[in-house]
Amino acid sequence: MFKLIFIKELKEILQSSRFTISFAVCSLLIILSFFMGAQNYLAGKAQYEAAKQENYNQIAANTEWMSVNHSIMLPPQPLMALVTGISNDIGRDIEVRGRGELSAQNTRFNDEPIFAIFRFMDLEFIFGVILSLFAIIFAYDAINGEKVSGTLKLCFSNSVSRASFIAGKLAGSFAGLSVALIIPLLIGCALLPVLGVNLTGDEWLRLGLILISGLAYFGLFLALTIGISAMTNKPSNSFLIGLVVWIFAVLITPRASVLISGRMVEVPNVDEITSEKNRYRFQLFADDRPKMADFSVPEGTEPQQVMQEFSKYMSELSEERAKKTEIFEEKINEQYINKRRQQERLALSLSRISPASVFSIASTELAGTSLGLQNRYMDSAQDYQQVYNDFMTEKTGTGGMTGFRMIISTDDDSGEEPETIDASELPEFEFQKATLSSTASRSLLDLGLLILFNIVFFGGAFFAFLKYDLR
Amino acid sequence: METANETIKQAPLLEARNLTKVYEDGVKALDNLNIKVMPGEIYAMLGGNGAGKTTTINIFLDFIQPTNGNAFINGIDSNSDPLEAKKNVAFVSENVQLYPNFTAMQNIDFFVRLGGKSNYKRSDYENALNRVGLQSEAFDKKLRDFSKGMRQKCGIAIAILKNAPAILLDEPTSGLDPKAGKEFTKLIGELRDEGKAILMSTHDIFRAKEISDHVGILNNGELVAQRTNAELKGVNLEQLYVEYMAGYMEETDQNLVLTNDLN
Repeated sequence: MFKLIFIKELKEILQSSRFTISFAVCSLLIILSFFMGAQNYLAGKAQYEAAKQENYNQIAANTEWMSVNHSIMLPPQPLMALVTGISNDIGRDIEVRGRGELSAQNTRFNDEPIFAIFRFMDLEFIFGVILSLFAIIFAYDAINGEKVSGTLKLCFSNSVSRASFIAGKLAGSFAGLSVALIIPLLIGCALLPVLGVNLTGDEWLRLGLILISGLAYFGLFLALTIGISAMTNKPSNSFLIGLVVWIFAVLITPRASVLISGRMVEVPNVDEITSEKNRYRFQLFADDRPKMADFSVPEGTEPQQVMQEFSKYMSELSEERAKKTEIFEEKINEQYINKRRQQERLALSLSRISPASVFSIASTELAGTSLGLQNRYMDSAQDYQQVYNDFMTEKTGTGGMTGFRMIISTDDDSGEEPETIDASELPEFEFQKATLSSTASRSLLDLGLLILFNIVFFGGAFFAFLKYDLR
Repeated sequence: METANETIKQAPLLEARNLTKVYEDGVKALDNLNIKVMPGEIYAMLGGNGAGKTTTINIFLDFIQPTNGNAFINGIDSNSDPLEAKKNVAFVSENVQLYPNFTAMQNIDFFVRLGGKSNYKRSDYENALNRVGLQSEAFDKKLRDFSKGMRQKCGIAIAILKNAPAILLDEPTSGLDPKAGKEFTKLIGELRDEGKAILMSTHDIFRAKEISDHVGILNNGELVAQRTNAELKGVNLEQLYVEYMAGYMEETDQNLVLTNDLN
């Protein structure tokens, strides 16, 4: 009986005009998102290579390492283009100095502010917003529509158990509608290598998991809507309830959880922190002023030596201040980061009551574009800063452009052009991507929640139908 | 002395025994209803809206539970063993609505299989549809383009193919044009002649008299009159029906007067 109802449901969906329209729209959107994602990735990659080359050229034009201004950039990843997450919201460029705080500048929205308003049509948006809405449009009358039309009564005038009927209906609806998603998703995947986006095995696996979690997300909305349909008598009512649930789940809960966590855990803003750091720096400098005034050399010292002594003295003071500043800033930063992470954790935990948030968190985690991206990028940059500092110390005797520095230049009468530096000596920046195992362990909770939501909503629909008034 | 076969033959295929239904809001939809439909008989339930006709059918189909009493299909209590009981009954509703995206053939195939018959061929479906008078060019058309009469024909074809010993008809000729109604009546007669027990709820007094072996008049959930076809010969059923309804109306009016006086 289950098989019969399953096949009927499948056929009925595939033969409906609602399916034809949805299939066309889904296919268009999904294939378009893959296409646009691939194009964005390729454009981003070209831009990244060009910016990297430009940085290299600028370094190579210098005649001494001391004058080098070096920037690193966040390399684009194919999955970042398919599930953008925060990848467009964080600064991509970091100017690296041997010491001091690093700050990422220049988000994608600096170049293309239009996307800050309309955002990207990536897979997360298509599944999270559009397909969840399609699930409601498809299933809002799954049960009460049959009641209104009378087919439910006709079905149950036969020896049919409610359990097998609803199980067949749920499975058939999911299978039927999955066709509308799986076909364009497969086409989209096939499109990637054709367009020149070659994914590694690790990335294919991640993409596969993203698509599976997307299907699970779609399935839970489908089951939820069928459940609502099995608790109401009129399709118009179930549609309205489904829509309200969707608005709360997709639009309100994620935003509200951020607002609530913002009220519950107060985090000082960046300006306040910068101001505090500056205050401390100025204070240290003010404290050093009397020491600077105390500088003296024995009378009769050669001017050249005076300069050297002065430079050494000031450097020592500067180094000491830099150390104190570094300790203070580290402490402030740690406090800030801890507070911010506490706020983020609370926001994420609260938002997880909504399946839409769970899907967003899972998909961005799998794509490597979750909140962790910024931390990973900054961690990679800080690791690189250490390498860069060692390199610059070797080349210049100081760790790059920090602290007090006095450059004494002398005229070279030889008439020869000074030799430029060999930029290829500069160590390469490598962005540390999250490993698949660490990603899997981090997204396990959300993948588990998606499964749990499915079980709850499928179970809810099942039990709601067992008590449904068939008349 | 009766033989075993005769005993089986005489057992009712549809039986309402002391059937009572009181809804949660206190409305009494059925009051101690007793009906028997033997093989090869048509029983027509007449009555106004809310008389309890559809409630009776809903109890037979286990869509609602009776407050008291039992509904038996081929001797099986439809509320205690509904799945077994429903193997013995086919149902045609007032307004047959099959799946609009399916063709007539696909709908019939699904519902016949749902009824437990999986050994039919297309030719069997075609024969049933020919028998109910559906034009052959409509066999593979989607139901959304069908008229009510055409859908009703599909519904009866499904009932024929299920080949159950009992049939429940809920106002089957309501909204049909006279020609379609007549064709339908003829088909019901044929099914009766094949030995089916048919319980039919209807507003159509003339058709009920024309075709039924028994007519029961329900009023406010109560079976107020029951006549055999032989008893109805020479009786103006419409007059009888109106008299019973009028009696009920008078009673209601009296109650209203009484209530007003009390107020």
